[in-house]
Amino acid sequence: MRRSDLGEFEEIVLLAVAALTPGAYSVSIAEELEHETGQTVSTGAVHAALQRLEQKGYLSSHLGEATQERGGRRKRLFTVTAYGGKVLHEARTVRNSLWNRITPAELSKMGLDFSNS
Amino acid sequence: MQPLPPRWLDRLATRICAPHLREELLGDLHERYALRHNRTGARKANFFFLREVAALLRPSIMRRQPSPYGSPSAFSGDMLRNYFKIGSRVLLKNSSYSLIHLTGLSIGLWACMMVATVVIDSLSYDRQWSRKDDIYRIVTVNKMAKDLSQRNASSPSGLAPELQKNYAEVESWSSLSSGERYFKIRPEDNDGIQTNLLTADTSITKILNLKLLAGSLRHSEQKRWNLLVTRSYAARIFPGQNPIGRTIHDIPTLGSEPTAYEITGLIDDLPYNSHLRGDAIRIEAAKPEPLVNDGIMSFGRNYILLKRGTDIGEFTRKVNEWYVRFTKNKGREQFEFQPLKDIYLHSDFAEGQPVKASIRTIYIFAGVALLLLFIACVNFVNLSTAKAFARVKEAGVRKVLSGSRTQLVMQLLTETSLLFGVSVGIAVFAYFFTLRPVENFLGHRLILTFTSNILMAGGALLMFFLTALLTGLYPAWVISGFKPANTLRGIFTASLGQTGLRKTLVVAQFSISIIVLLATIVVWQQFDLMKNKKLGYDKNDLICIEQIFWHGKGEAFKNELQRIPGVVRSSLSMWMPTEGAGYMQREVDDPARAGRRLRVWYIAGDVDLPATLGLKLLKGRMFSERFADALNADSLQKQDFKKFESAQMNQNSLMTESAARMLGIKQLDVQTKNAHSVPIGIVGDFHNESLYEPMKPTFILAEKAPEYASMLIRIQPGTEMQVAAGVRKLWKQFFPEKLLNIHNIEERLEKQYEAESKLHELFLFFSGLTMFLSALGIFGLVVQAAEQRAKEVGIRKVLGASVAGIVGLISKDFVKLVVIAIVAASPLAWYALQKWLENYPYRTTIHWWVFVVTGVAALAVTIGTVSFQAIRAATADPVRSLRNE
Repeated sequence: MRRSDLGEFEEIVLLAVAALTPGAYSVSIAEELEHETGQTVSTGAVHAALQRLEQKGYLSSHLGEATQERGGRRKRLFTVTAYGGKVLHEARTVRNSLWNRITPAELSKMGLDFSNS
Repeated sequence: MQPLPPRWLDRLATRICAPHLREELLGDLHERYALRHNRTGARKANFFFLREVAALLRPSIMRRQPSPYGSPSAFSGDMLRNYFKIGSRVLLKNSSYSLIHLTGLSIGLWACMMVATVVIDSLSYDRQWSRKDDIYRIVTVNKMAKDLSQRNASSPSGLAPELQKNYAEVESWSSLSSGERYFKIRPEDNDGIQTNLLTADTSITKILNLKLLAGSLRHSEQKRWNLLVTRSYAARIFPGQNPIGRTIHDIPTLGSEPTAYEITGLIDDLPYNSHLRGDAIRIEAAKPEPLVNDGIMSFGRNYILLKRGTDIGEFTRKVNEWYVRFTKNKGREQFEFQPLKDIYLHSDFAEGQPVKASIRTIYIFAGVALLLLFIACVNFVNLSTAKAFARVKEAGVRKVLSGSRTQLVMQLLTETSLLFGVSVGIAVFAYFFTLRPVENFLGHRLILTFTSNILMAGGALLMFFLTALLTGLYPAWVISGFKPANTLRGIFTASLGQTGLRKTLVVAQFSISIIVLLATIVVWQQFDLMKNKKLGYDKNDLICIEQIFWHGKGEAFKNELQRIPGVVRSSLSMWMPTEGAGYMQREVDDPARAGRRLRVWYIAGDVDLPATLGLKLLKGRMFSERFADALNADSLQKQDFKKFESAQMNQNSLMTESAARMLGIKQLDVQTKNAHSVPIGIVGDFHNESLYEPMKPTFILAEKAPEYASMLIRIQPGTEMQVAAGVRKLWKQFFPEKLLNIHNIEERLEKQYEAESKLHELFLFFSGLTMFLSALGIFGLVVQAAEQRAKEVGIRKVLGASVAGIVGLISKDFVKLVVIAIVAASPLAWYALQKWLENYPYRTTIHWWVFVVTGVAALAVTIGTVSFQAIRAATADPVRSLRNE
């Protein structure tokens, strides 16, 4: 499995696309991420990440309709490809297996407790 | 209403964002701005938008997508070949323009190269000695008054050894002087070989790195003089033979016996670009003289070698503080240490230094040449931009056919570099063949030239390339910048509005020409004034025999001389014009201002001296045989110096008008303390020094047949050759073994002002060139204007305009520019020239008519150039210009 070419921010953006489909484009993703993380996310950064993901084949895109607040410009809508879905799934599997190996007893011995998170 | 982000930010975002991403990305930005605006208000939204724009600065967003219809790279081999092909065709097609360009650029580049050679050569003097940074010449500074000091290249002979004793910084010292000698290779030779002889003591080998080829550098303890000869000199006097151990003799001037010199060493040639230029070095044993703080000391030119890294300012301060304590004279005499590298260019004060130049002349020289190059480049820029309209259609077509701007710029730059390349070729050719005449003009050889030094040649080529690039870039930028749609439709008047710049450049160009022309006139006037100023004595029909030792035969020689037809009067004199201001100098208190000292000069000769010089008597009487005017100084001096001094106090003297005035002497025939003598008459002021010096109070004393003296001879007009022949014959009888030097006083006086004469010739040359180049530039512009306005002229003619009216129409613009240039340049030139003239105590005034003459000349040149082409345009058949469409 090649996890190295999926950065943390890219992974989140990819997840956001999956979550927001069919209305996933830069603005909606950036707004969603801002809402979720509480930090400002610039459109340019999201756009750049989307471009990279599309180049890698995790996303596909098409131009959508124009609206008035966009100054009559069309938006580019993104959807996750099958390959992208597979990569997301793999990433999730790895995480889950690691999470499952952590026993709550061990954690509390170390003074850590994730039960509330 | 839809909220919109600030316009400038929006525009900036558009600039940053690559065109193919603009649609989606800018749309996103606007949408988010609207969202923010609704949520938080305008201010926060604006701030956020600013951050958004900043976040666009990433390569993935900024990178432009390559065009799918690519044109070949502007630097590909095919394109480069094409530039040359098209470029040479364009240049050949417009051959008259090319010719104007070539002439202007060649002249500008040539002048620049020539002057750069002179400047670089001047700056290269004395840079080749291995310890060049540590060698200094001791310069004596005499403080005459608070703000008046006199510098002298010689220093007390005892000073340098004393410095070496006292200061650890001093490594070595040597006395070093230069002079001219005539050597006979064999005693029976008639004429001697002229030799530049340096005289130094043995420690010179520690200071200068002389390369010994044979023999020894040491001084042998023999009676004879020891001589080190340079390789090329040895090859001249003893071709193909070993010169070591040979003996040669000089031709005496003062003594009667020739002196023998033994050649003890052969050294490599001394560098020509050094103020110590010489064929041979006479080596003496170092004889340190004790330094005394009172009484008589001898002076000489002394050089010291300091330890590496000595702070010269600190050292000078220490030496002067010590010297003040040593002499207790409140620091009237101070010393400076002149770095070896400065001696050639900064020695205006050093009398008797044969190899020197003035940094001022170098600056003027360089400045004028740079201006000349500037004018040449301005011509190029002006003509190219003026001609732009002929090229914009071509540029438009090229652009429509997907030619890039880089390609167009490259095309035009290629044309520029072709022109520059040919001009450089012509300039180098001219340079090579004019080196010799320029060397003759300068009076010395040029060592570092562009054709002899590979490094300089490389530098020059690089400079040419840069100049070509700088000059070509602007026109190329202008021409390639037109929008193809406009140029093809024929709208370019608006974008061709760069005429403002062109006009400014023409004004600048003409201002320079006018300043140089004004300078030429004023320098000529100054030179003329110095050459023709009444000196107070009659300088015409006066010849002289240079100073010798007369062996008691002076009086007899003079009597014989009087018999030569043509000789009016003669005098044995211890002074002659151009040889210093007198034979002795005294400092006396200034009666007008307490605490100030005045320098008074004394001139001595036999009783005929004032009459021979032709001085005018104002009051009292002249010297005469009837009175005991003449002192037998030589024999008195030999007997007892004290007695001689007191005799001098009672000696009769003549004084100049200004001496009488400045020293406040009212009464004649009374011994006066300030005069150190008894003034018996007042003569009119005369210039005993060159006109670089203000007139100083002077006394004339009479001596009986002085032994060390020159002979002044007043002759009848037009008998110079005849008298000279007679003198030569007489000389053979009296002094068969001595060297005879006869000079014409007027010629020698004129030689003093060689610097001004050179400067004048130089300005004459440069003013001609600048004027020519400016006229050439304006000519090109007029040709252009006439071509551009051919239709207008045609229509005007058809409608009945007169030829004069049309000529006026075309000429008006240019004449206006030149008038502006005259108005702008005159005050500037006046100021600069006034500053220059302040260097001279006797200076010409700058008359108003100088400006009028210059202005009229500039206008005449302009009108002449312009109307030549304007008349051609005005008399052309209107049908021809109107018919073609």
